[in-house]
Amino acid sequence: MQITFTVNGEERELEVTPYTRLLDLLREDLGLTGVKEGCGKGECGACTVIMNGELTASCLVPAPQADQAEILTVEGLGTRDDLHPIQESFVEAGAVQCGYCIPGMILAGKRLLDENPEPTEKEVRYGLSGNICRCTGYAKIIDAVMLAADKLAVEGSDSSD
Amino acid sequence: MTDQNKRIKDYFCKHTTRCTIEGVKKSKRFVGHDVLKADAWDKVTGEAVYPDDIFFDDLLYVKIKRAVHPHAILKDIDISQAKKVNGVVDIVIAEDIPDVRQFGLIIRDQPVLIAPGEKMRYMGDPLAIVVAETKEAAKKARDLIKVKVEELEVITDPFRAMEDDAPDIHPDGNIVITHHLNRGDVDEAFKNSAIVEENRYQTQFIDQLPMQNEAGVALYDERRGVVNIWAATQWLHDTQADVAQSLRLSKDQIRIIQPTIGGAFGKKEDVSVHIHLAIAAMRTGRPVKLCFTREESMITQSKRHPITIINKTGVDRDGYLTAWETKFIGDTGAYASSGPAVVHKGMYHATGPYNCPNLRGVSHAVYTNNTYAGAMRGFGTAQGAFAYEQQMDILAEKLSIDPAEFRLKNIYQKDSITPNGQQLTHSVNAEETIKRVMELSDWKGGRK
Ligand code: FES
Ligand code: FES
Repeated sequence: MQITFTVNGEERELEVTPYTRLLDLLREDLGLTGVKEGCGKGECGACTVIMNGELTASCLVPAPQADQAEILTVEGLGTRDDLHPIQESFVEAGAVQCGYCIPGMILAGKRLLDENPEPTEKEVRYGLSGNICRCTGYAKIIDAVMLAADKLAVEGSDSSD
Repeated sequence: MTDQNKRIKDYFCKHTTRCTIEGVKKSKRFVGHDVLKADAWDKVTGEAVYPDDIFFDDLLYVKIKRAVHPHAILKDIDISQAKKVNGVVDIVIAEDIPDVRQFGLIIRDQPVLIAPGEKMRYMGDPLAIVVAETKEAAKKARDLIKVKVEELEVITDPFRAMEDDAPDIHPDGNIVITHHLNRGDVDEAFKNSAIVEENRYQTQFIDQLPMQNEAGVALYDERRGVVNIWAATQWLHDTQADVAQSLRLSKDQIRIIQPTIGGAFGKKEDVSVHIHLAIAAMRTGRPVKLCFTREESMITQSKRHPITIINKTGVDRDGYLTAWETKFIGDTGAYASSGPAVVHKGMYHATGPYNCPNLRGVSHAVYTNNTYAGAMRGFGTAQGAFAYEQQMDILAEKLSIDPAEFRLKNIYQKDSITPNGQQLTHSVNAEETIKRVMELSDWKGGRK
């Protein structure tokens, strides 16, 4: 069947089977390999995307369900030369080790800050609780999200000056 | 400093020691400086390429048919139905690769494919390599492979494996290796001890669980006679050598290209996808890809050894350790992997960071039909720590002294000699560490 959806601001039309997972569609058909597979069972958050504003485990979504959806992957956030403040914060806080969980962590962080621009550390922990990291021990990932909140607040106040 | 930068500095200060090193001598480039990781940019943008991110236009997909029973003789394997699946390109069974040799990190005891008449020894043992145009076709064909087996006793306990009437999992018996440790006169020292405490400790299997499962892509360059393998390994050149000997190729015919690794923690020391990928690539002449699912990774690849530790520890009236005897028995599962080294190292750390003049130890790695155990951060010492620290607590209680003071009495100092005979000549900060912990935790002598 044919589906139409918006990925990282671009409208796409694709032929999918009812069994295709959104995860494979993004990785294999669209080359968005920043979306990772860690468990395939909705447990680890490596495959996280933001779909219609909600954090979504793309390994659990049959592709047809993405029809008409708006999807953001890490590739749509910022580029090497123009990092999103959250990406920048992950680099600066030393929050990245093997990196496999990081796209999902960054999107979970973004989703949290969109809704709650001044989170407490506890709220950050809660916001990231769907994402597993096996390398870092989380401390610096939490730092990175707190740091991003500050950066975004400064940016926000700058633009309103 | 801008306001924002100050707040950024606050965050850094909370979890790192960077802000406390002022006054400490800095190196020119790294020590004492904030160094951003070179690959962080690739990883925050999703650009970093991990093995399963590699695609070729004419890529084929590989799936492995695995054992149907943890200990059984393969009687028959029937691939006729599987071959009919649309999109299947090749199904390789043992008779197709008669010259291929076993592989393994320390002992080459792992078969590339189990042949009829041979045994499967755990649920991860490979029976067939399925290569197809799509993942779905490969999976479908794999599930249509029919297997007949003769079931044998399944051994899940290393103590059962060591009994005389237990079936041999490997031809040379179930005890893979035995190490000994001897220093001083243990029997005499126990006799003269005020207290002797003997206890048995048991640790469990742990999966290292790196976030990325084993995965890889291979491409055979026929003109050069070289197999290119993009797959993670923690021992690039050992893996290259092992894959080469297994396939009876020279090392320069195996090129292993390390993509970004999604975590390893010891689990990626062992060969995983490499040999099967090489075989599929050479037979089909096309690029091939094999990605384990999480379940497959858990069933097939190494674990932290469950270890049974029996510690007998003597102490004198003044609270000094007099003698220590340890038995250290590691369940290494169906294959040796790093097991012989893990139980060796673990035994050498039997006394932890504590001085003890008289020592006796024996350690075994034992085959069972569990998933094989290998390397994981600490390499046998984490299991031992659980046991020796418990011994210390129990002895402190029996001696009615503060467990921290008891540790301080016995802790390694500069020039202490470890059980394997190593003299610690520098950087021995254990005493300082304990004192600092006592201070920071406002230590009040432990529980009553
Ligand atoms: S891969 Fe989707 S949650 Fe783990
Ligand atoms: S950085 Fe490796 S899993 Fe998070």
